[in-house]
Amino acid sequence: MTDLRHTQPDAPPPVAPGTPPILQLQGICKYFPGVIANQDVSLDIAPGEIHALLGENGAGKSTLMNVVTGIYQPDGGEIILDGYGQSFAAPQDAIRAGIGMVHQHFKLVPAFTVAENIHLGWRETPFRASAKTLEARTRALSDRFGFSVRPDAIVADLSAGEQQRVEILRVLARQARLLILDEPTAVLTPAETRDLFRALRAFRAQGNAVILISHKLDEVIDISDRISILRAGRNVGTYRTADCTAAGLATIMVGREIVRRDLRARTPGAAPIATTPVLSLRGATCRDPRGVETLRDVTLNLHGGEILGIAGVAGNGQRELTQVLTGMMPLSAGNILLDGTQAPLADPAAFARAGIGHIPEDRLRSGLAPSLDITDNMALREYDRPPIGRHGLYDRSAAGRLAQTIVEAAEVRVPDLATPIRNLSGGNQQRLVARREIRIASRVLVAAYPSRGLDIGAIATVLRYLTELRDQGVAVVLVSEDLEELLNVADRIGVLFHGRLMATIDAATADMETIGLLMGGRPAPSGSAHSGGQA
Amino acid sequence: MAGTLQRQPTVTPARRLGWRAGAVVTALAITTLFLALSGRDPRLLADLVVRSTVGSRFGLEDLALFLTPLLLTGAAVTVTGRIGVWNIGAEGQFYAGAIGATAVGLFLPGPSWLVLPLMAASGIACGMGWILVPALARAYAGVNEIITTLLLNFVAGLLTTYLAVGPWHDRVTGALASTGRLPVRIPEIWGVVHWGFPIALAIVLALAWLTTRTRWGYQITIGGANEQAARYAGIPVRARILGVMLLSGGLAALAGMFEVAGTVHRLQGGLANNFGYFGIVVAVLARGSCLNVLPAALLMAFILNAGIVLQTQQLTSSAVLAITGLVLFMIAIADELAHYRPVTVRPTTTRPATGAEARP
Repeated sequence: MTDLRHTQPDAPPPVAPGTPPILQLQGICKYFPGVIANQDVSLDIAPGEIHALLGENGAGKSTLMNVVTGIYQPDGGEIILDGYGQSFAAPQDAIRAGIGMVHQHFKLVPAFTVAENIHLGWRETPFRASAKTLEARTRALSDRFGFSVRPDAIVADLSAGEQQRVEILRVLARQARLLILDEPTAVLTPAETRDLFRALRAFRAQGNAVILISHKLDEVIDISDRISILRAGRNVGTYRTADCTAAGLATIMVGREIVRRDLRARTPGAAPIATTPVLSLRGATCRDPRGVETLRDVTLNLHGGEILGIAGVAGNGQRELTQVLTGMMPLSAGNILLDGTQAPLADPAAFARAGIGHIPEDRLRSGLAPSLDITDNMALREYDRPPIGRHGLYDRSAAGRLAQTIVEAAEVRVPDLATPIRNLSGGNQQRLVARREIRIASRVLVAAYPSRGLDIGAIATVLRYLTELRDQGVAVVLVSEDLEELLNVADRIGVLFHGRLMATIDAATADMETIGLLMGGRPAPSGSAHSGGQA
Repeated sequence: MAGTLQRQPTVTPARRLGWRAGAVVTALAITTLFLALSGRDPRLLADLVVRSTVGSRFGLEDLALFLTPLLLTGAAVTVTGRIGVWNIGAEGQFYAGAIGATAVGLFLPGPSWLVLPLMAASGIACGMGWILVPALARAYAGVNEIITTLLLNFVAGLLTTYLAVGPWHDRVTGALASTGRLPVRIPEIWGVVHWGFPIALAIVLALAWLTTRTRWGYQITIGGANEQAARYAGIPVRARILGVMLLSGGLAALAGMFEVAGTVHRLQGGLANNFGYFGIVVAVLARGSCLNVLPAALLMAFILNAGIVLQTQQLTSSAVLAITGLVLFMIAIADELAHYRPVTVRPTTTRPATGAEARP
């Protein structure tokens, strides 16, 4: 793809020598109490380029973009637009100057139509704004910028990819010349990603610029012209993409060599795979409130000292499987056996007491209480046992000591244990939840998408947690949509399709193609898999 | 370039308190201004208010009498708030408690050491009964508790009036619209202040301990902060909602029992005096902390007491409500403003910077 770029019609336009960069940052500094978010960051974005911004979680990418878009004021340095110094007192100033940002979490009104969202808070919205006018204007914008949207659709009914198109179109409609995208592909399917990239190239071809924040190295290499890497708030280098390799970028980003070991290898002295299963499902079936089967006749065994990977396209029963395995959801049919005996039904506290930890899919929504402090959140699994919970009491100082232990084990720097947990970055939240669950997971750990939204360094840390736990003889279930991760870490991989466990295959001999076929609901070619979910 | 304001995610308690003090002072200043504009002497009125609230023994006794029900109804609304539920029905549960207590007091003769606890028990049971249906509906069917608890207030208020002028009407002395005087009363400890006051104080302190230092309190805090996380941790959220709402109903009912047995000594229409609704105000001011109920209720009691004094000076009772509203409004503004801190934008050069030489 990369080598073809210059022959494509939407290649970057030739830029006259001496044309000033669209955006130039000179020595930007931004400090928060006790934290250097950005230190002396200089960067320039030329017209007609897609500039990728790489960095680990907490490297200062978001802060820098918040400075550029006028949400924060820099504590030092200059923002230069088209050669002229600028300061943005508010986001509106940045929008007026042609800088548009598409956030990771969309800022759309779910109950409004696409056309209404596009026209919300826009100077050029006609005074008499009938639905018909707005939709016609939206259709015109959609044609002009090449982002196809349905103007009369309600935003809440749209897929994440469609919502993102609305968001981008909204920014483009306000004459943005510099488009900033924060993790745009995190919510997209591969096909939607291709569409997005095609549109971004078209946008670039008109002499505009794009700043793309991403963790996915392959994508960055595919789409960008230049790459800047932030580490600990500083710009550690800007490179031409053509000169970069994924491994090289990862090393610079993390600031250390990433050792890509085969994570299946056991350390000496590791617990062997147990012969009797610790947790088993027998014909497990779940129905949703409408009576639709979300999990169908799943039979599997979890053995101590082994990692079972669960692959599948999201929404094929992964959520139900993790909730059944952690006692959060009752079964409509079938059995769940803990050490060979019937487990208490749908009692997550009993499962936790039995040594089953759970890293939930959506940590902020279901694993944490965002408004409460770190201490209260870290006590969530152990509040009912000594030393925190004696005689029906809640010992805050014991909870504080537990929180301190978890924070240290997770190697997370926090200003103060009384900080609301929502003020921590997503990566730090995930590390804390992982550590909290590992503490109680004496027998089983169910981890749902533990690396989602994390950077390479944090992913490696979380995966290391899982393999360490495996080596201690704990059974680990790893639900992931990243096949490479599953193939690296898991011992066996189960594939879910429409709530059915299609097959459980040996990860050492599995290949992407077989798993891909199973994920699409087709039976695996004989020989490479045991069929029928007889795990 | 001028300075600009930035919103901070968290506020220190001291900072919030400072802003709130400013808000109360502003509200009082506005009140004073309007009093002066309507031709009254604000200094005279202020003097009168201080003398008849904190500046004299009678004033302090009245303050304590106002404080007693406010502490309990404020605590009632605060505890439900901790699990994310709004009990707007403290007024109704207050009436239910008064009715339950009166029934025992009027029709069960006996020594007061026996009858008073029975009145309290009966009142609390009635208050819990009054909130039982909204609580069950909220916990198990997700029915919005704000509507159900609110509407039951009118039922309870009218039921009280009906009992006071109907079946339980005092036919002996022919009093206008109330039952006869109860044969037992809560003993006084200081002037007209009865034992209900220290008991209410103790209850609020106990609740503060219960909500922050016990397993039950922790479960409620988690359930209120994120119900999904509570379910994930295996906390029985429904049972806790039910329990907290019943506790809340019981607290408001106890306030009703104290009022009827300690202050008014008879059941009459309008007995609750909006104490249930003022409990919501107290809870809003307390921001979910039972300990904060103490100063919040004190402020509310002061305003109510001052209002009575102002009424003797030909101000209508609506003026008191208006002042309460003004104080709340100012505090709401102050709470939000406390988040903002000024930041200065560094002046940037307007001369063309690097790279501009090539511009045409």
